[in-house]
Amino acid sequence: MAQLELDSVTKRFGEGDESVLAVDDVNVDIADGEFLVLVGPSGCGKSTTLRMVAGLESITDGEIRLGGDRMNEKRPAERDIAMVFQSYALYPHMTVRQNMRFGLEESTDLDDDEMDERVEDTAELLDITELLDRKPGALSGGQQQRVALGRAIVREPAAFLMDEPLSNLDAKLRSQMRTELQQLQDDLDTTTVYVTHDQTEAMTMGDRIAILDAGELQQVATPLEAYHRPANRFVAGFIGEPSMNFVEGAVDGDALTADGFRYPLGESVAAAVDGSANATLGIRPEDITVDGSGSLEGDHTFDATVDVVEPMGDENVVHLSIDGGPQLIATVDGLRRIESGTAVTVEIPEEAIHVFDGSSGEALHNRSLDDAELDDRRV
Amino acid sequence: MSSGIFAALIRDTGGSVRSDGPDVDSDAAGDEASDAEPRVRTDGGTVVDGAGERSGSADAEPSLRSRFRRSRFLESIPFWGPPGVLVLFFVYGAIGWNFVISLTGWEGLGSPDYSSLSTEMYTQLLADSSFHAAFQNTLVLLFAFTVLSLVVGLLLAILVDQKIRLENTFRTIYLLPMSLSFVVTAIFWSWMYNPSNGLINELLRAIGLDALTQAWLSDPQFKLAAIIFALMWQFSGYCMVVYLAGLRAIPESQYEAARIDGASTTRLYWRVIIPQLRASTMSAAVVLVVFALKAFDFLFVLFGVNPGQSADILSVMMYRVAFDRVQWAYGSAVAMVLFAMALGVIGPYLYLQYRRGEL
Repeated sequence: MAQLELDSVTKRFGEGDESVLAVDDVNVDIADGEFLVLVGPSGCGKSTTLRMVAGLESITDGEIRLGGDRMNEKRPAERDIAMVFQSYALYPHMTVRQNMRFGLEESTDLDDDEMDERVEDTAELLDITELLDRKPGALSGGQQQRVALGRAIVREPAAFLMDEPLSNLDAKLRSQMRTELQQLQDDLDTTTVYVTHDQTEAMTMGDRIAILDAGELQQVATPLEAYHRPANRFVAGFIGEPSMNFVEGAVDGDALTADGFRYPLGESVAAAVDGSANATLGIRPEDITVDGSGSLEGDHTFDATVDVVEPMGDENVVHLSIDGGPQLIATVDGLRRIESGTAVTVEIPEEAIHVFDGSSGEALHNRSLDDAELDDRRV
Repeated sequence: MSSGIFAALIRDTGGSVRSDGPDVDSDAAGDEASDAEPRVRTDGGTVVDGAGERSGSADAEPSLRSRFRRSRFLESIPFWGPPGVLVLFFVYGAIGWNFVISLTGWEGLGSPDYSSLSTEMYTQLLADSSFHAAFQNTLVLLFAFTVLSLVVGLLLAILVDQKIRLENTFRTIYLLPMSLSFVVTAIFWSWMYNPSNGLINELLRAIGLDALTQAWLSDPQFKLAAIIFALMWQFSGYCMVVYLAGLRAIPESQYEAARIDGASTTRLYWRVIIPQLRASTMSAAVVLVVFALKAFDFLFVLFGVNPGQSADILSVMMYRVAFDRVQWAYGSAVAMVLFAMALGVIGPYLYLQYRRGEL
C-alpha cells in the first residue's frame, strides 16, 4: 500500500537527432489504494509510462516515487510492484501453483508452508483452486487471465500494474472480468495503475483516469469530470462513444460561424470565447434534440436531413447533415422510428455545448452542470 | 498397420462401420443385441450387425470389388509405393542382410555360407577386450560430446541473443565449422594439436604454461578428450543456431514477468527460459548423437584404422574388422551393435514426438 508519484517523467528512445520522445513530462500523483486508468490511443506512451514504473524501461528524466522512495535506479524486483501482462506471460512449463509460487520463491524469504498457504488463499479468492495443478496450456483465456492476476496478487505488492489485461478476452468475458477486477481492487485496496486503450474500461473502472496523447498528459480527472469537463478537444473526442461532434468555425462577435452554419452564443459563452479568432463547437450526440414534427423553434435549431440510421437497440445513432452545413451524429431513443432521408429539425442546446480554442484545442467553455454531481465521484 | 488402413478404408467408403473386424464377435452380437439398444463401440461408432447381411447376399462381392477400385488406399499407391519399395529394399533390406551375415562365419574372400547360422560372432564380441574398449569409448564420446556441445551452444545462443551488434556475423562465424567436412577439420586439428609446433602448445608456451603442453593426440590419456573437444568445436555452432531459434520463440514478456517476479538473470534463465528450450535440446541432441556415432571419418583421417585402445570407437572398429581384417561376419556384428545404439536413441525420440502428436 503506497502512494505512487510520477514527477515530470520523460522517456526518450534513441539518442541525438533520431531520438523519439515517447513520454513527455508526465505528472500524476496516485493516492494509496487508488485505481488510476491510463488511457489513450495506441502509441500515446501509456504502456511506456507503465513500464517505467515497473522498471522495465529506464527513465530519461524525472522521478518516480513509490511510498516516498525514489524508484528510478531500483531493479524491478526491488520495487515491490506486481504486473499483469496483456499476454499474461504465464510460464508454460510450470503448473498454475508453480507459476504463482515463482514470485514468492524469488523475492521473499517465506518458508514453504507460508508460500503454499498464500497461494491457496489467493487461488480461493480468485476461484481457481481446482486449476492449481494444471499447466497454462490447458486453461482457457479467461482462466489464464485469472492465474495472471493471482500471480500478481499473491505477492501482496505495494502497487499493481496492469497492461491491457483484458484485451485478449472476448467481449462478454471482458465485461465480466471488468466488474470482478473492480471488486477485487476494492477488497484489496492496493494502488493500481491500469493501462487500456478502451475508453469503456477507462470510464467504468477507474477512480480517476489519466488521458495521454502523443506522450503528453492531457487530463487527470474522475471519469465523469473527463466526460463532462474535458480539458481540451482531444479528451472530449476520446472519451465517449459515439464521440463528441465538433464543428470548426470562426468567432464572429457573439456567434460562431462555419460554412452554412451560424450558432449564436449567450453572454457568458461569448465572454469565454472572446479573444480567440477560431473556435470549435463541441456537442455530445445525446444532447442533440432531433425533431421530425417541426415544432422546434429558436436560435439554436437547424434544419437537417437524416443520412444514415444505425439502430443499436437501446438507442438509434442518427447521422445528420445540417442543410448546407456540417454533419452531426445524434443519438435518440431506440424505440423511435426515424427513416433515413427525412427532413428533421435539430436543436443544439446552449447549456450542453463545449467550446474549444481553434488552434490550441484548450477548452474555453464546458457545458453547464451542477458541480456537486461530479464531486460525488471524486476520491 | 495394414489392418488399420483396411478398416479405415472400409469405414471411408462404406459409410457405416461393419462388424467384420476382429474386435467384435459378430455371432454373439447378433444373438444378444438384436432386440437390445444399439451397442456403442468404444470408438464412438455404432455396431451394425453384419452377420445377416453378409451371409445371404450375392451382390456383396461386386460391391466389395468396386469399393476396392474406388478406395483411396489404392489410389495413393503410385505416390508412396515406389519410394516405399526402394527404402524397404535398400535400407531395411540391407540391414536385414547385414544381420544375416553377422550370423554366419564369413571371413576372407569367397561367399558367405548361409547354411549354418549362429550367434557365435556376438558371443565372441562379448569376450573381445578391444570391443569393450571401443564400446566404452563410443559411449563416452557420445555422452561427453553431446552434453558439451549442447552446453556451449546454449551459452553462445544466450550471448548472441542479447541484441548485440553484428549478430548475424557472429552466427555465421559460429556455424561455419559445421559446414566443413570431417576430413578438413581432422587435418586442421591435427595441426592444432601438433606437440612441437601446434597452435595449442605454442599458445600454452607463450603464456608460460609449458608444463601443460601435451602430446595431445598420441598420449592415450588425452586422445579421446582431444577428439571430443575438436568435435565440440565443430558442432556447438549448430547447437547455437537451434537454441537461438528456440530462444526467439519465447516472448519478451516471459523475461519481463520473471524480472518483476524478482528473479536474477541466472535464476531467470535457469528456471524460466532453459526449461522452455526442451524441444530444441531434444532435436539438437538427436542430431549430435547420430554424428557422434558416425564420427568415423574424423578418427580415420587422424589415425587410420588403428586409433589405439584409448580412442577406438565402434565405427572405426567395424571398418577395421571388416575391411582390414576381412572378417565380414564379425564386422557385421559390430555394425549391428552400432545400429542398435542408434535405434536406442532415435526410437524413444520418435515415440515421444508421436505421443505429442508432432509426427
